Amino acid sequence: MKFNFHVSPSLKGSLTTQKIMLELTVGLMILFLLSCFYNGTTYGASYVLHEVLLLVSSLVTMFICESIFAKIYKENPIAYMKKSFGWVTSIILTLMVPITMTVYALIIATIFAIVFGKLLFGGFGQNIFNPAGVGRAVIFAAFTSAAATGITTGATPTAYLANTFNWLPASAEALDSFLSQYGGFANLALGFYDGALGETFTLAIVLIGIWFCVRKIIDWRVPVVYLGTIFILTAVVALLSGIDSYHGIPAFIWYPFLHMVTGGIVFGAVFMLTDPVTSPTSAQGRVIFALGAAVITVLLRLKANLPEGCLYSILLMNMFTPMIESSLDGVQLVVKKKAYIMAGCLAILGLAVSFYAATSVEPVTTAATEKTAMMETVRMEETL
Amino acid sequence: MSLFLGEMHHHIPGRKGLTEKKDIISLMPEKEVYIPLAAGANTDFEIFVSGGDKVQIGTKLAQTKSGFFVPLYSSVSGTYMGIKKRMSAMLKPMDHMVIALDEAQTKTQALMPLDYHTATREECVEQIKQAGIVGLGGAGFPTYVKYQKPDGIDCIIINAVECEPYITADYKIIMKDVSHFLMGCEIFKKMADVSKVYIAIKKTHPDLIQVVQDALHDKQGMEVYPVPDVYPMGWERVLVREILHTEYDRLPSEAHTIISNATTAIAAAYAFEKGEPITKKIVTVSGEGVKNPTNVECPVGTPVQEVIKACGGYTTDSVRLIAGGPMMGRTIVNDQFVIDRATNAITVLPNVADDAIACLRCGRCSDHCPAGLQPVRIAMAVNAGDAKEMEKRGALQCIECGLCTYVCPSHIDVTENVRKAKRTVMLKKKK
Repeated sequence: MKFNFHVSPSLKGSLTTQKIMLELTVGLMILFLLSCFYNGTTYGASYVLHEVLLLVSSLVTMFICESIFAKIYKENPIAYMKKSFGWVTSIILTLMVPITMTVYALIIATIFAIVFGKLLFGGFGQNIFNPAGVGRAVIFAAFTSAAATGITTGATPTAYLANTFNWLPASAEALDSFLSQYGGFANLALGFYDGALGETFTLAIVLIGIWFCVRKIIDWRVPVVYLGTIFILTAVVALLSGIDSYHGIPAFIWYPFLHMVTGGIVFGAVFMLTDPVTSPTSAQGRVIFALGAAVITVLLRLKANLPEGCLYSILLMNMFTPMIESSLDGVQLVVKKKAYIMAGCLAILGLAVSFYAATSVEPVTTAATEKTAMMETVRMEETL
Repeated sequence: MSLFLGEMHHHIPGRKGLTEKKDIISLMPEKEVYIPLAAGANTDFEIFVSGGDKVQIGTKLAQTKSGFFVPLYSSVSGTYMGIKKRMSAMLKPMDHMVIALDEAQTKTQALMPLDYHTATREECVEQIKQAGIVGLGGAGFPTYVKYQKPDGIDCIIINAVECEPYITADYKIIMKDVSHFLMGCEIFKKMADVSKVYIAIKKTHPDLIQVVQDALHDKQGMEVYPVPDVYPMGWERVLVREILHTEYDRLPSEAHTIISNATTAIAAAYAFEKGEPITKKIVTVSGEGVKNPTNVECPVGTPVQEVIKACGGYTTDSVRLIAGGPMMGRTIVNDQFVIDRATNAITVLPNVADDAIACLRCGRCSDHCPAGLQPVRIAMAVNAGDAKEMEKRGALQCIECGLCTYVCPSHIDVTENVRKAKRTVMLKKKK
C-alpha cells in the first residue's frame, strides 16, 4: 500500500493546454481549407497545390528548427514539440501570406518566427513577440516582391482602399466603385476574394472566434474590446469627416463595417492578439492591451504608409505587455481603479486619433475607374 | 463576470452522487480512540486525567492553557491510557490522548442543558464556549470568539454550501436532523443579536432547500439563499460577495456579518438541548480510491484506517489519502491519523503522475482567483526570489483554496507557488 504525498489540491481540471492548442489548430485548418476551396475554384488546382506546398514547407521548417533545439536541450524532438506547439505558429504564418508568396520566402520567415521569435527567448511561454507576427514582419520587410512565378491574383481590398481611396471612400459612388470589385459587402464578409490566405474569411473567423470564446480557448475580452474599439473609432471618423450614407445606411454604420470586412483585423483579433504568451495575464491587462492595439491599428490604417495596421499594432503592444502587467500588479479588486484610469486615457487617445485622422485624411468622393485601380495597387502589399 | 475582472470562481464537478443517496453507517472504534491534543494550531493543554482513570462519554479531558479557550471531552467511555505521538491530519506528528474503549459506553452529563429562549445572550455564548464548539467547516476556529462582541452585526450567514467536491456530510446531517439545524441557527441568531439569518445552500440541492424551507415556515427573519454551484462558494468572502454584494478587508464583521457552518449550528443545538459537546462526527469517505464510498458516523478520535476498512478498503495500491476534500485537504502519507472534530471528509484518489508543462500565461488562475490575486504573477516573483514583490502582489491574502491549480491547463501546481510566496513573506516579517 502506497500513500503518495501531493501538494493540495489533488484535483485538476479537464481543460489542458494540449486540448486548447488542438482546438486552435482545428480552427486554423478550417480557414486553410476554405482558402484552398477559394483558390481552387477561382484559379485552379495548381494554386491549391502551391498553397499546400506553402503550408508543408513551413511545417517542415518548423519541425527541423524545433528538432535542433530539442537536441540542444537533450530532449526527444517529438516530446519537445508536443509541449512547444510550433505547428500553430507555422499555420498562422502560412495563413497570413498571400497565395503569390514564394516557398523560400516563407521558409526564411518560418525560421525567423520559430528561432528568433520563440526558441531563442527560451521556448514556448517565454517569447515576447507573437512568433507568427515576427515571421510576417520579416516577409514584409525583406520579401515584399517575392512573388512565385506563374501565380498572379488581383488587387487586395486593403491595398486598393489605401492607395485609391485613402481609406476614406466618402461618397456612395466611390464606395460602389470599390465594392463592385469584390462583389459587395456580402462577398467581402464571406471572404471570397484575394488576400492573405486565411484572413479574408471574416464571417468564418467570427464564427470560429465565438466557438473559441464559448469553449474558453481564447479570452472573449480581447477580440470584443479590439474590434469594438476599432468600430467605435472608425464610426467617429465617419461622423467627423462627414462622409455620405450608402443607400440609406448612415456612414457611421457602413464605414466601420467596411473596416471589419477588409484586411486582417478580425483574423488578428481572434488568432494573434489572443495569443496568451504575448498578452498580459490579467483580464484588466488584456482589456488595456486590446484597447491599445485598436488605437494603433486605426492610426496605422488611416495615417501610415502601410496599407494595414493590424500586424504592427500587435507587435507594438507585445512590447507593452510586461509594462502593463507590472503596472497592474497586486490584488485585482484594488488595482481595478488604476485599470479604469489607464483604459480611460487610452480611450481619449483613441478619440484623438480619430479626430486627427478625420481632419487630415483627404476623403475620395469620385469613383475610380477599374483600370486605374488595378494599375495603382501593388499586388504584394497585402498584409495583416 | 465583468470586463475588468474574471469570474473569480469556477464550477467543479461535485461527484457527490458517490455518497449522497447512501445511508450513513455507524462505526465504533475497535480498541482505542486517539484524541488529538490540538485546537487549531494551539497544542498547549492542561490535562485533567491521568493514566488508568476511567472516563465516560462527555468527561472533560483537557483544556487549553493559552490562546483561545477550548475544552476537550472524551468521545467514548473506557480507560485513559496516557499520551502517544501519532501522525495527525495536519501532516505532522502530534500528541494524542489514548482511551481504551469499554463494553458499556456510558455517558456523563458534560454540561447542564440551557434553554436559549430564556437565557441571556452572554449565557448562550458561555454555553458554546464551555461545550468546546469549534467551526466544523474545516478550520476548527472556536465559535464563541466570533459571537463575543456582535456590535454592528446586521445579519448572520449559515454556510450549508459544502462546495468541496465529493463531500456530502453537511447535506446528510441537515437532511437527517433539520430541526436541530434550525435550532442552532436560532441560537446563533440570538448570540449575534440580529433579526436576519441567511442559510446558503447550493441551487443544485433543491431537495435540501425544500426540506429546510418547509421546516422554516413559522420562523421569522430566516431565509434560504440559494447560491450557484461554483467553487469556492463556501468561502466566507465569496458568500459575502454573493449574498451581501460587498467586499471586506480582513474579517466578515467588517461587512456586518458573522458566518457559521451548518454542522456547527447542529453541534450548538445539542450543546444547549442536551448539554453535549462534540463527541461524534459524520464524515464523508469518498473518492475513486475507496471501494464503498459512503458517510460514516464515528466517535472523535477514530483512526482513519478503521474508517476506510468499514468502507471496504482501497481500490488500488497507490493512492492519495486526503484529510478533507480534494481541493483543500492535505494528503497524509499513512492512514494512522484520526477523525478530529473539524474533520468532515476523507477523500481517497488513485495516484496520478504529474504532467506539468510550461506556463502559457493564459491568466486563468488570475481570472478565477476568488481573492482577486494574480497567482501567475506571484509565481513569477517566487521564481525571481523577490519577497517584496510577493508581498505587493498580495500573496498573504491567499487562502489556498486550490482553484488556480485546478484551472491551470498546463497542470502546474500554482497554489504551491503561492504557498511558497506566503512562507517567504511570513519568514521575512518575523525577522
